[in-house]
Amino acid sequence: MIKKGIPLSLKIRPLITTIIIIIIVIWFITPLILITLSAFAAPKDYYQIDKVIPTHFTLNQFKSLFFGLQAWKAIVNSLKVAGLTMWLSFLIGLPAGYALSRYIFPGKNFLKLFILATRMFPLMVLAIPLLIIFMRIGVSDTVWGTSLAHTAMVLPMIILISSSIISSVSVEYEEAAMIFGLSRTQAFFRVTLPLALPGLAASAIFAFIISWNEVFVSTILTLTNRTLPAHILKTAMASPDYFKFTAGFIMALPAMIFIFFVRKHLVTMWGIALK
Amino acid sequence: MVKVKIISLDKYFDKVRAVNNINLEINPGEFIVLLGPSGCGKTTLLRCISGLETVTSGKIFFDEEEVTHLPPKSRNVSMVFQSYAIWPHMTVNSNIGFPLRIKKYPSQEIERRIRWVAELLRIDNLLDRYPGQLSGGQRQRVAVARAIVMEPRLLLMDEPLSNLDALLRVRMRAEIRKLQENIKVTTIYVTHDQVEAMTMGDRIAVLNQGILQQLGSSEEIYHHPVNNFVAGFIGSPQMNFIEVKIVKQDKNLFLKTKGLEVPLLDEFKEAIYKLSDKTDYILGIRPEHIYITNQEQKDKTYPIKGKVYFAELLRSDTVIHLEKEFGFLLIKAPGDLKVEEGKDIEVLFDLLRIHLFDKDTGKAIF
Repeated sequence: MIKKGIPLSLKIRPLITTIIIIIIVIWFITPLILITLSAFAAPKDYYQIDKVIPTHFTLNQFKSLFFGLQAWKAIVNSLKVAGLTMWLSFLIGLPAGYALSRYIFPGKNFLKLFILATRMFPLMVLAIPLLIIFMRIGVSDTVWGTSLAHTAMVLPMIILISSSIISSVSVEYEEAAMIFGLSRTQAFFRVTLPLALPGLAASAIFAFIISWNEVFVSTILTLTNRTLPAHILKTAMASPDYFKFTAGFIMALPAMIFIFFVRKHLVTMWGIALK
Repeated sequence: MVKVKIISLDKYFDKVRAVNNINLEINPGEFIVLLGPSGCGKTTLLRCISGLETVTSGKIFFDEEEVTHLPPKSRNVSMVFQSYAIWPHMTVNSNIGFPLRIKKYPSQEIERRIRWVAELLRIDNLLDRYPGQLSGGQRQRVAVARAIVMEPRLLLMDEPLSNLDALLRVRMRAEIRKLQENIKVTTIYVTHDQVEAMTMGDRIAVLNQGILQQLGSSEEIYHHPVNNFVAGFIGSPQMNFIEVKIVKQDKNLFLKTKGLEVPLLDEFKEAIYKLSDKTDYILGIRPEHIYITNQEQKDKTYPIKGKVYFAELLRSDTVIHLEKEFGFLLIKAPGDLKVEEGKDIEVLFDLLRIHLFDKDTGKAIF
């Protein structure tokens, strides 16, 4: 007797997909859960070897990290650096992205490739010369200096992403605005920018998070005005283990919150950029 | 209403000459259609007139004012885009009112004009909606409303009907034409659809490869095409082209090829005598000017026999493919005609409606 119905392979496929997704999610989320648990764990629970999941929680590590080790200063620095990086990279990256998207000019393809050239050299190679230059012009160990370095790091991505986001806004919208009484600049601000805003906002946050997480350049360029990752590298790494987890938790938190809110745009942003 | 004058306009994209030395004069209030196949430069020409494209050389005048290098916003023209380009982040009301608000009209005047134009295009119930909530036809109306709300001196339309379904297109054709007559605005309309061109334009400018081929009324374009491109582009099915030689026998002239010997009427002979002694030409005759039955023009027709290869039964007409030694001859016959494939039939060339083109240059001799 022949059984009619959905073939076995079609029934199994969604099942396999689900299992793979579950494995991937576990892979990524387990460390996060462990970090979070350990960040709040009371020290005696943390060091109890037969206790995988702690039962006593405390905020003491946070208190001593923030105030004892002065992490709040580093957080303020990090916010300043990341915010400044975000604005600087958009100030330069958005016009460049617009030009790449809307104009045809000689050497355009070469320029597109060249933009990525800053990513060609390992940071270790660039860091020391950069520090020397920064010391000479007097911006080393300042918020400005660090954000300049971070801007250089995120700029290629901001230019390419914003160019693809602007490309996704039909040029006819802009032309219509120009026909009906606006200059090209006005048309950009009144029509193109509002339409591109969700995607641009997502890439701005992307720039923010890259700067927030960046540790190597910040460590080298600063001594007193350290950003949070650099500060943690210096202080928390010399502290008990549960401090490290607390620091890791503080580091990961903003990124997770941001990505949760912009996750929809993040997908479109890269979806367009990859086209 | 404005008079548009275009003087030897050239537009290059790199080395491609998209617009090639175009001279065009458009009268105030006239509805002119730029017609041509895709890539013929018609949209580029329109964009040069709008200011969205810079020109390489040449001049554009609106009345006596030269606008060649003015930015689009200073030209006081409006445009309906092929994709409509109504801004998705604004309501219909803001879209239509946008040109007025930019030009800082008093708010009462803005309200009045929006109401006027919305009623004119029957979209007054849609004013609070966003473009995403509208159908294609409604978006099209909004685009037209936005274009005429300032009562521009020149209205440019870039294939505005090409995204509509066939039924709606027929209705909008008439509506846009009536609207243009009502508000009396000089209009330049770009299309590749010959039906739109024939039905809407006061005059039609046929373009090919950036060159203006012919400018004239639909009657002139249809009956007196200046070359074989215009002759072949206008009319459906396409005009039949047959390579022929001119042969003189006694006092009569014949257009001859294998299986065909068309006598020339006296009225055309003079044109032939003016020519050099070149003998190779192209005979053109429209499928609708070959008749199946004798239609009271016995002395001005020429009978030709052939085998029916295929018959397209459109029911409104029948298009017969007649097999001849020189190729296939298309004939547009009445829809109720009974034809059998494979059978021999006799058809009649209308000798008054034949065209002759130079084989090398394609130029029409008559």
